[in-house]
Amino acid sequence: MSTMKTKIKIFFITLLFIYFFALASPLEAYVGPGAGFAFLSSFLVLFLTFILAVFSFLSWPFRLLLKLIRRQKTYKKSHINQMVIVGLDGMEPTLVEKFLAEGKLPNLARLKKEGTYAHLKTTTPAISPVAWSSFMTGSHPCKHNIFDFLSRNPKNYLPELSSAWIGNPKKFLPLGKYKIPLSKPVIKGMRKSIPFWKFLGEAGIFSTILRIPVTFPPEKFKGHLISGMCAPDLKGSQGTFTFYTSEKEKAKIDEGGVIIPLTISDNKIETYISGPENSLLKKEEELKLPLKITLDINNKTANINISGKKFILKEKTLSNWVKITFRPGLGIKVRAICRFYISEISPNFKMYLSPLNIDPEKPALPISHPFIYSVYIAKLLGSFTTLGEADDTWALNEGILDEDTFIKLAYDNHKESEDMLFNAMDKTKKGVVACWFQVTDSIQHMFFRYLDKKHPALKLGRNKKSAKTIEELYMNMDKLVGKVRDKLSKNSCLVIMSDHGFKQFRRGVNLNSWFYRNGYLSLKDGKIESGEWFKDVDWTSTKAYGLGLGGIYINQKGRESQGIVSPGEETRALKTELKQMLSGLMDDGNNNAVAINYLYDRDEIPPGPYKENCPDFIVGYNEGYRVSWDSVSGKVNSTIFEDNIKAWSGDHCIDPKLVPGIFFCNHPINTKSPSIVDIAPTAMELFGLKAPDHMDGQSLLRLENSPEKKQKSNKR
Amino acid sequence: MWTFNSIINKIFDILFLPFQSMNPWIGMIFISLLTGLLMLLVFRYTSNQEGIKRTKNRIKAHLLEMRLFSDNMRISLKAQGNILLANIKYISHSAKPLLFMIIPLILVLIQVNFWFGYSSLKPGEPVVLKVKLENDYNPLEVDLNIAPSSGILIETLPLRIEEENEINWRISPLKKGVYNLEIYIDGQKVSKQVSVAQTSLSKISPKKLKGSFLDGLFFPLEAPIKKSSPIKSIEISYPDKSLPLFGINFHWLIAFFGLSIILGFAFKGVFGVEI
Repeated sequence: MSTMKTKIKIFFITLLFIYFFALASPLEAYVGPGAGFAFLSSFLVLFLTFILAVFSFLSWPFRLLLKLIRRQKTYKKSHINQMVIVGLDGMEPTLVEKFLAEGKLPNLARLKKEGTYAHLKTTTPAISPVAWSSFMTGSHPCKHNIFDFLSRNPKNYLPELSSAWIGNPKKFLPLGKYKIPLSKPVIKGMRKSIPFWKFLGEAGIFSTILRIPVTFPPEKFKGHLISGMCAPDLKGSQGTFTFYTSEKEKAKIDEGGVIIPLTISDNKIETYISGPENSLLKKEEELKLPLKITLDINNKTANINISGKKFILKEKTLSNWVKITFRPGLGIKVRAICRFYISEISPNFKMYLSPLNIDPEKPALPISHPFIYSVYIAKLLGSFTTLGEADDTWALNEGILDEDTFIKLAYDNHKESEDMLFNAMDKTKKGVVACWFQVTDSIQHMFFRYLDKKHPALKLGRNKKSAKTIEELYMNMDKLVGKVRDKLSKNSCLVIMSDHGFKQFRRGVNLNSWFYRNGYLSLKDGKIESGEWFKDVDWTSTKAYGLGLGGIYINQKGRESQGIVSPGEETRALKTELKQMLSGLMDDGNNNAVAINYLYDRDEIPPGPYKENCPDFIVGYNEGYRVSWDSVSGKVNSTIFEDNIKAWSGDHCIDPKLVPGIFFCNHPINTKSPSIVDIAPTAMELFGLKAPDHMDGQSLLRLENSPEKKQKSNKR
Repeated sequence: MWTFNSIINKIFDILFLPFQSMNPWIGMIFISLLTGLLMLLVFRYTSNQEGIKRTKNRIKAHLLEMRLFSDNMRISLKAQGNILLANIKYISHSAKPLLFMIIPLILVLIQVNFWFGYSSLKPGEPVVLKVKLENDYNPLEVDLNIAPSSGILIETLPLRIEEENEINWRISPLKKGVYNLEIYIDGQKVSKQVSVAQTSLSKISPKKLKGSFLDGLFFPLEAPIKKSSPIKSIEISYPDKSLPLFGINFHWLIAFFGLSIILGFAFKGVFGVEI
């Protein structure tokens, strides 16, 4: 196939050369190289377009016939032409209802009136990658294998990204200081089960899937896809920003970024951009790109020079996307896009550099299906964020970005997704368009405290916004819904949904400290607290530990490398004991308020082939509580409860019953309590297909002769 | 004009000096590279680089669109329309740099033409020397003769053609060199350069004119004939030259056009120019 393509290319190139070197008259050639630059490119484009057009026209009758035959089958049973799913991550039902009542969401109100509004049951746990995996597969977590952002490696108790695994190529050819890879790097998706768009594709129905979480690495199907949440940055992390500062003494970042201290000499700074590890070298080292900054104190601007590429940036202005190129050697280029923000020019220089996003025009890793789809979008609409979690909440949490800049960044990212959605809607008049928006999640995480005057985080001095920020967010999303409605095809189904809701995060619970204080977790001799990732935990006498945003694991013999609790009766007894002690756990520092409602035993939640990878318990925190920052990162100390004083003040990693999502649809549905696992079977039925038996959800449609209803009427 | 031409001639003499005894393709590659680079710089500083980049991206996007949505006639047709529109915009972006480039390019092309367009004469190879007179003079009546030259044999008596208002001789070079033929007419002397089998790359002046501004521009190698002279022009019919490669003879213009574009494109990344 590729030989054929090569031959066709050679044929076209030969034709071009014949034209220029044999047929062109001297007069034409007298146009000269200057005009030649323009006319040659232009001619090439016209020539290609012409060839494509001719091919297109000649093959059109055949394709039309084929399409008609296929489409007769494909859309024969279809109830609609187009299904548009707008995923507004974390949109909270109580706030939606409040703003609906106040008349601030006219488009959603119209949707509710014409069709449906309901709470959407989320997954256990109520975490985005888990919920969106259930959305796409129509299955509960034990069938798709995603239980959190992180999973634990039972061999070393360290966290691993739950959604994807990226490994270096296995075979190399040593050449001097280099090792030349002889195979591709391994990129393995950890999410199991099959997304509904793959089933639709097999039946000939086209889908465009934009930024839906846990779609990295992209899988093949009939349609187009841009990976979303969990797609890495160029460093392979989930987003690492860089903070450049000349105020070295005060610089401190706990998570999410790195600090590069600077020295200013004669208003000039010489530093570097920290890139990924150079895996071409036998002795791997960080790739660095020289960065020179010249300060103009009077005009409050900086001249930024990245390996000869220059631009001027004003203080307190977020740059556009800047393209940068790392050269690991052997002529290979690794490209990224990033944004700069100078928060202070003088007396100290402070600059934020966003995580290095994979350049969608020349992606270093596959971030779309087909591979050229990201190239197409970037060329048509401009560079766009490719990092899964694009809104840099860590930078705001650490005080590196101010609130206004964060909001601008989040809405800029939102605009990119919005443009992609509208382009996809225009192109996919028949089929599914699904697009995920992060802005609702990120802004609520970072500004939810403004809705709660007693929130501990409001005691900090960095609070400049108000409850209006959240209100505006909801109103902006309503405007988006209005625009989407205007662009819908005839006979369409529009779904506006969120994967979970949102609640205040006032107090953190350090489960590992609780385990320690109650004798379930031991520290090494002489230690009274442990560093990150259980550094000083004595596993040989530890029975249970907490990891991630809601997981508790039993240190089980034969499963964990240093497990001490025997499977079977001993484990069951320990789980019963822990469930009794932790369900209803009270916070003595907050008038004995209940911090944990319930521990969800993995044996109680819907089963599936990947149950063994599920934490032994998923913690159902009460409203106002969440796992503490220290506990997430495996720190152990004597403090169980603590105030959350970070800007990250709203959350949803709590008892799933407390954080349902929202569901709006322009069609009526057959139940008052839809679940996120019902969306996939609904999509399939809308296009006249029967959902596969492994899907846990059922169609929400009120259709006559629904195959779903007949077969699954007793399921709920 | 002659002062200006002398400077330009000198520059090109210096530029081609190292290449005179080499294969002419090397000189051609050199001048094409130089022109390509010069044009790149002009293009960079006179064009709307951002606009060009945006437009090119749109064209590429719509080309990809045709591939991504090859099953969809509506999208394919729309993409083709968009490509045509973007192409017009792209060409319009190139108009301004084109204006800036056209004058230096004409000067370069004129010079390159006299270095690569004609072969010098070979000893023993006869050629016609044409002297064209002003309309006021009759070729049958004027007193005109050529002074003997050590390297050039005047083979025939002057052939006076009244209808053409010109006088022709057949001359034959005797040995290699650059000679100045001295033509005497009504007591005035006019000289004409003759090149005989010089190096593989040498400049050839086929015609000398009395000269308007445009004549001076297009035939810059020799000083113009004085206005008072009865002679309008002196021309030697040098044979055309071509550049052989793999058995194919390329016209210098095609070689120059192709090479300068290819080399210009090759170096656009180095200079960060969006074409």
